[in-house]
Amino acid sequence: MYWIANGFLFRRVTSPFHKLDPRVKLSISIMFFVLSLLASYVITVAAVLIAILAVAAFARTLKRVARTMLFSLLFASIIFLINFFFGLGLLHALVYALRFLAIISSTSLFFVTTSPDELEQIMKWMRVPRDVVFAFVTAVRFIPVVMLDAFQIMDAQKSRGLELEKGSVLVRVRNLIPILIPLVVNSVIRSGELAEAMESRAYGAIPKPTSLYGMKLKWYDWTVLLTSFLAFLIALYIYHSFHFPF
Amino acid sequence: MHQTGVRALDGVNLTIDAGEMVGIVGENGAGKTTLVRHVNGLLKPLTGSVEVEGTNTRDVSTANLSRKVGIAFQNPDHQLFSDSVEKEVTFALTNFGFDKPKIDERVSWALDFFGLDRYRKSSPLILSGGEKKRLTLASILAWDPGVVILDEPTVGQDAIQKEKLAEITNTLHSAGKTVIIVSHDVEFLWSLQPRVVVMRQGRVVGDGTCADVMLDREMLTAARVSQPQLVRLHERLAPRPDKTFLTVPDARAWITREVA
Amino acid sequence: MKTLVSVDNLSFRYLDSEKWALDGINFQIQEGEVVVLAGQSGCGKSTLLRCINGLIPHMYPGDYKGSITVDGEEVAKTPMRALAQKVGLLFQNPENQIFMFSVERDIAFGLENLGVPRAEMRRRVDDVMKLLSIVPLALRAPHELSDGQKQRVALAGVLAMRPRLIILDEPTSLLDPQTASELVSLVHSLNKEAGLTFVIVEHRLELLAPIADRIIVMDKGRKVLEGTVPEVLGDPKAQDYGISVPPISRLYSQLTGAGLALPQYPTTPEEMADEVNAL
Repeated sequence: MYWIANGFLFRRVTSPFHKLDPRVKLSISIMFFVLSLLASYVITVAAVLIAILAVAAFARTLKRVARTMLFSLLFASIIFLINFFFGLGLLHALVYALRFLAIISSTSLFFVTTSPDELEQIMKWMRVPRDVVFAFVTAVRFIPVVMLDAFQIMDAQKSRGLELEKGSVLVRVRNLIPILIPLVVNSVIRSGELAEAMESRAYGAIPKPTSLYGMKLKWYDWTVLLTSFLAFLIALYIYHSFHFPF
Repeated sequence: MHQTGVRALDGVNLTIDAGEMVGIVGENGAGKTTLVRHVNGLLKPLTGSVEVEGTNTRDVSTANLSRKVGIAFQNPDHQLFSDSVEKEVTFALTNFGFDKPKIDERVSWALDFFGLDRYRKSSPLILSGGEKKRLTLASILAWDPGVVILDEPTVGQDAIQKEKLAEITNTLHSAGKTVIIVSHDVEFLWSLQPRVVVMRQGRVVGDGTCADVMLDREMLTAARVSQPQLVRLHERLAPRPDKTFLTVPDARAWITREVA
Repeated sequence: MKTLVSVDNLSFRYLDSEKWALDGINFQIQEGEVVVLAGQSGCGKSTLLRCINGLIPHMYPGDYKGSITVDGEEVAKTPMRALAQKVGLLFQNPENQIFMFSVERDIAFGLENLGVPRAEMRRRVDDVMKLLSIVPLALRAPHELSDGQKQRVALAGVLAMRPRLIILDEPTSLLDPQTASELVSLVHSLNKEAGLTFVIVEHRLELLAPIADRIIVMDKGRKVLEGTVPEVLGDPKAQDYGISVPPISRLYSQLTGAGLALPQYPTTPEEMADEVNAL
């Protein structure tokens, strides 16, 4: 579970890919996503997958994206088996399974290379309402904090004799109550404090706040964008015109 | 005997006898909390071992060890979850397998001792900060552990609450319990005069009686621990008495005599 | 000196509450002062702070009597966006005041909300980071900061809005003594060099005694003591109100009671030792 989640968490790495405007990164991921969906042969899907991994390597995040793919193999296998037993034939089922892996990897690529700040800017650019953007940003910002809270709560309750590792499923679920309630209560208290701090710093004073950072497409953004779009079109042409053996 | 490796704690050797009162000081991040978490098994050492009353902490679960070692953590909001104060105190007792009559007896004793009986049926969430702290202490002392660890007990407490806390700590000590207090409130510790262990960057850099340790200005400054006001006063007086001032009246008595 | 804050017969009761959290409070704060607000838990300090910065009544409605005027404007009648530029409130837990993923972005938060243009914002953020010596932390994420650093970042976020009055709610409670002293030194220098006025709620009076101009003590919603540091800490009733009178101050009172009055009021043990040595 941890590895899958990690495949979507941003890591601060310096690579030429990371420096791209987030909108370009989004476009590239979307193009991969579309190519994955439209590929109908094993060769083409595999090609897309390899391309995604190549870009991930270029972005120095290959390990992460590859790991995500590895841990999605379970679901991919399930997809393969289901499709196979519905009589779709070996190759077809394989295509579906590989398609799934490619979709996951292309999404992972985007999230791993885009910082939460950049995500926020993209949302603003897409005209997502300010309050929604803020809620998202705050939620992500507090993930490590809430996780730490959870560990401290578990420590405190273990120290009162709570056994988290023994017992039947029912018992274990019930033993989560002394963990969940304080966690929720703390989150509620935290929300209250956040609200006070927000008010005290004039949140909501004007309908359109200004922004310290901005997105600006530079020459290399345009270059990469156009090149990848070109590659995208070529790939579509290949899909359309060629019939592959498998 | 405690001893551990890895960044958080480094080669710590410490023996605490039954019935001792020990204060652990050091800046935030020096390893104080990490150390005490080893005592009840929340953390297991990477190298070396921790033994509590002869049992190696690696051999038993935390829940098990906690029967002997109670830790009162800094934030009561990380613990309170029951519908009523009464159930909150009962929680640990049930976990440790006390029988019903014993539970009732211990709960009543704990609520009475900490002055929380009038809140018996109330939700813990409505209590004030200081009352919540007392409730967590009550929940722990209800099961009567031989070792009691207080993690930063005076944070955010006003003077009256601190006095009560000092009283309770002394009572526990007189009752023969081993008391370990992690605190950066040196004035509070000075009033209790426990043995003091100073930690810095995961190591023990000082260990001795309160009076001895608090006088070592060089060691304390390096460990970013402040000295109690009376000690600072004593150090700067010229001439000064051989023994440092333990209380304000001591200082007053000596000064008035000297000036006369 | 100009009067920055004027509290006139202020009383407040939260909605659905029977008790009056504040009952007929009167006092003034002059520009450039460092005022300490003390009193035991539940005395109304937190409520009073929220009345000064406007959270009461704008965010917390209730029965509000009397008035508070800050920098010429009546708090109850001024919107939060204007008040935020006059009064900055630093809450107890810095963690819950830092919203953004990077330090400099969080410092700009208030400015973005006010619509400050980007260039001006950039300048103010850089200035305030320099002022608080946190420039190397500019791009760090909050969970990578120590408690002391988080607090400076939170303070920076408040200072960026250029208020004249800064209120600190138990700022040292989560800090170890050395970090706490560093904070107090910072407050002192901001007060002396930038002319900022401070109101600080605090239990650890021994840290603030050296820099405080006045102490106000509250109990059960009322103001019960007010005066300079020697006046309040020397008052025999002080301990009844649950405030921590530092050992040195208690010693001073006891010496004075025994007929030995030191010429100057010592706020640190070193000062007292020097005076005693001189005798």
